[in-house]
Amino acid sequence: MADDAIATVTPAGDGAASNPLREGLPADQITNPCSAVFFGASGDLFKRMLLPALYSMRLRGTLPTDFALVGFARRDYTDESFREYCRQQLDLFMPAEKKPQGALWDDFARRISYIAADFNNTKHFVDLKNRLAQNDRELGTCGNHLFYLSTPPPVFPVIIKHLKEAGLERDSEGWTRIVVEKPFGTDLASARTLQRAIEAVFPENEIYRIDHYLGKEPVQDIIALRFANTIFEPIWNRNYVASVQITSAESLGVEERGGYYDHAGALRDMIQNHVINLLALVAMEPPISSDADDIRSEKYKVLSAIAPPPHEDVWAMSARGQYGAGSIDGRPVKAYRQEADVAPDSNTETFAAAKLYIENWRWAGVPFYLRSGKRLPRKVSEIAVTFKPIPHRFYGDTTDSIEPNVLVIKIEPDEGISMRFEAKVPGPKEHIRSVYMDFSYGTGFGVQSPPAYERLIGDAIAGDQTLFTRWDAVERAWEIVTPILEVWQNTKDFSFPNYAAGSQGPESAKKLFADWRHL
Amino acid sequence: MSLDIASVQDQLARSYRERGCDANVATMTIVVFFDNPAIGELARERIHRLSSKHPSRVIVLDATAPDSVHRVDGCDWIELGAREIGPEMLRAAVAALRVTEAPVVLLWIAPGIGTDPRFESLCEDAQTIVYNSSLLDSGHGALRELVCYLDERRDLPIADIAYLRLAPWQECVAIFFDGDAVGELADLERVEIACGSEPEALYLLGWLASRLQWTPSAPEVLVNPQGKEIVFSIDRQGEPRRIARVALSSSHSTFVAEADASQETILLSVSGSREHGPRYRAIENPGIAALVERAILWGHNDRLFAASLAAAGKIIARGEG
Repeated sequence: MADDAIATVTPAGDGAASNPLREGLPADQITNPCSAVFFGASGDLFKRMLLPALYSMRLRGTLPTDFALVGFARRDYTDESFREYCRQQLDLFMPAEKKPQGALWDDFARRISYIAADFNNTKHFVDLKNRLAQNDRELGTCGNHLFYLSTPPPVFPVIIKHLKEAGLERDSEGWTRIVVEKPFGTDLASARTLQRAIEAVFPENEIYRIDHYLGKEPVQDIIALRFANTIFEPIWNRNYVASVQITSAESLGVEERGGYYDHAGALRDMIQNHVINLLALVAMEPPISSDADDIRSEKYKVLSAIAPPPHEDVWAMSARGQYGAGSIDGRPVKAYRQEADVAPDSNTETFAAAKLYIENWRWAGVPFYLRSGKRLPRKVSEIAVTFKPIPHRFYGDTTDSIEPNVLVIKIEPDEGISMRFEAKVPGPKEHIRSVYMDFSYGTGFGVQSPPAYERLIGDAIAGDQTLFTRWDAVERAWEIVTPILEVWQNTKDFSFPNYAAGSQGPESAKKLFADWRHL
Repeated sequence: MSLDIASVQDQLARSYRERGCDANVATMTIVVFFDNPAIGELARERIHRLSSKHPSRVIVLDATAPDSVHRVDGCDWIELGAREIGPEMLRAAVAALRVTEAPVVLLWIAPGIGTDPRFESLCEDAQTIVYNSSLLDSGHGALRELVCYLDERRDLPIADIAYLRLAPWQECVAIFFDGDAVGELADLERVEIACGSEPEALYLLGWLASRLQWTPSAPEVLVNPQGKEIVFSIDRQGEPRRIARVALSSSHSTFVAEADASQETILLSVSGSREHGPRYRAIENPGIAALVERAILWGHNDRLFAASLAAAGKIIARGEG
C-alpha cells in the first residue's frame, strides 16, 4: 500500500452512495425510514406472516431503525391493546429464540399504533393521516408511507378511494407506496376494474402487487441459474427441451379459508399468479439489465407469446378436480364439500392443470405443463425441465431404459436444484441407471433463506419492484386463463369429487400429462 | 522428524471400510493449526460443529503434540502431532491427506504469521485462510503482524474473524449518517471506541478512515481531506473481542452507539443539533463457528476488509512512531 494515502474503496455508485459509510457494506440494511400501515391488521395474514416477518427483520437488523407500524382494522383495539395483541401473536408464531423481549421488543412496541376503523368512513383515514404526521415528527419516519392492503380483496377499492379523499396518496415530501395482496381481481374484468381504481390514485411505480412466491430464494435463483451460467442457456430452447412442468402441490386442504376458496378455486388461487409467474421466469428471454422494469418487460413479453387456449380446446388442454375424502400421512381427511364454509354441491376445483404453448422462436412446440392442487400426497413446489432423449442408442443393456435428463428447480419444502442423468452401474455389464446431482441451499451456502415476506416487505420499503408483478403481466395472466375459467364455470362437473385426498389427482390430469416423462 | 503419512492413509482407508463409507462427500478440507492446548480444545469443538454442518475432511495440526502422535477419528477427522514438523513436511502431509478437487481452508490459530515458515508453506495450497487476530492477542501485536505480512502478500485470500465481528457496528455507525446527516461526516472531530480488545477497535477506526479518507497525522490524531483534525481514543473496556461503545462527535452533535450488558442490543442515540430519539439494533452474535463459516463462504475476498486493515496498519504505525 502506498505510504501517503490510506486505501479507499471505490464508491458503489448506487442509491446509497450519498453516505460513504454505506458503500461496500452488505446491502441487507434497508435505509429508508418509513411508517407502514397494515389495513386488515387484525386478520390472519397479518398475524401469521406479516407481523413475524417485520419482527424478524428487526432482529436481523434489516428493518429501518426509524420505522413505525400502524394497524388499521375494524376490531376495537387501542394502541396499547394492539401492542399486546402483537406480542401475543409473536409469541405464538415466532420460534423460541426470537420471542419478543428486552430492549429490542420495547423499542419495536413503542413504534406500533392502531386505528380502529370503519373502512367506509373518511374520518378514520383523516385520523390515519394525523397519526402518520405524528410518526414523522416523533419517530423520524420522514414522510415515507407504505400502505399494505391485507384485507379481503373486495375492500381494496374502498380503501384506495378513502386514501385519496383523505389526501394520503401523496401528502408529504417523502414517498408513498401501496402493496396489494393477491388475488388481484377474481377474473379479467374485475382485475381491470381494480386496476382502474388503483391507477386513478397511484402511478404504476408506486404499486407493489405482491405474489409471495416471487420472494422465495429458489425462485429468484432461476434468473441466476439461467443467466449467471453458460451451460444452461445454450440448451434452454426447443432444440433440447422436451417439456417443462411447473407443479405447486399441497397436502393441506382449504383449512379455514373455505369461504374464500369456494369462490376462487385452484386456477385463480395458484395458476393465474404463482404458477404463471414461475413460467415467465423460466421461459423469458435474457433481460438487458437487472433493473426491475427490464426483467418485468421480458416476463410480459413471454406471457404475450402464450396463446390462451381456444374455448373448444379447453378440455383437451386442461384438467380439473375436486378432492373427496381420503387420507394424508395415514390420517383420514374429509372431502372438500364437507369443509367449513364450502357449498355441499360446490363446483369449485381444488386441482387445476393446464398445457400451454409459447409461440415464439425459442419455445415453439414445447409443452408447458402447469399443475396445482390441494390434498395431494405431499407439499412440493418445483419446476422440472425435461430434456429430449438421446438421438441414437448404442450403449447399455437393451433391457435398461435410458431416461431423459431432467433439471429440477426445487422451491419448497426443499430448496435447491437437482439434475438427473444416466450413469453406468459399476460391474462388468453395461447397465445404465439414473443418478442425481443435488444442490441444496441449506448446505451450499450455510444459511437459511429468509422467509419470502421478509424479502418482499424489505423490497417494497427499499423501492425495488423487481419481485412485484406489473399490471401488464397480471392482465396477460388473466387473459391466458380466462377461456379455461369460462368453460369450467359454465360446465357443472358431475364427476366431482373426482380424486381422493392423498392421491395424485384426477385421472383427467394423468391423460393430459401422458406425454410428460419425469420421475 | 517426519510423519508417517502412509500409516495415516492406511488408518483412513480402514476407517472408511469399517464404517461402510462408500464415497467421500466432503465439500472442503479444513486444516487447523494451533500451538496452544487451550486454543486447540476450543478449535476442535468449533470445527466439529462446522464440519457437522458442511461435510468436511478435517486435518488438525497440533503443534503442542509430538509428531509420533497421529489418529483418525471417524471417516474424515485426522489428528497429527506437529510440534517438530518442518514446513515442507506439513505441506506434503496436507497435500497427501486433503480431499482432491475440494477447496482447502486453513485456520491458523497461532502467532507468527509473518515469521513462521509453516504458515507460509501451508498457505500455498489453501484457497481460504482464516485468522483471528484478537483471539491471539488482545493488544494489537497479532494485527500488526497481519498488516506487515499482507503488505508483502496482498493477494492472500485471508479473512480475520475480528473484522467479521464488526458488521453490526458498521451498520450502526452508518445509520447515523444516512440522509441529511451525511454532512456531519466532514465535521467529525472526535472518535471514541471502548472495546475489550484492540483489533476490533482498530478495524472500526480503520474502516472509518478508509471510507472517509482520513490519514493519521500524529498518534491518536487523524486528518480529513479538508485538513480538519479528528482526535481518537481507544479504551480497553468490557469483554475481550467485544465492542462496548462507539461515540463520534462533530462540532454540533454527538452520535453514540452503545451495547447493552448482554451484548444483544445496540442503543443508538444522537444529541445536539441532530438530536434523534433512541433507536435499537440487534447484535447478531453468531458464535465463532458461524464466523468461521462466514469467513469461508464470504469473507476472504472483501475489498472493504483490505482497505480497513491497511488503514488500521497506518494508524498502528503512526501510534508507534
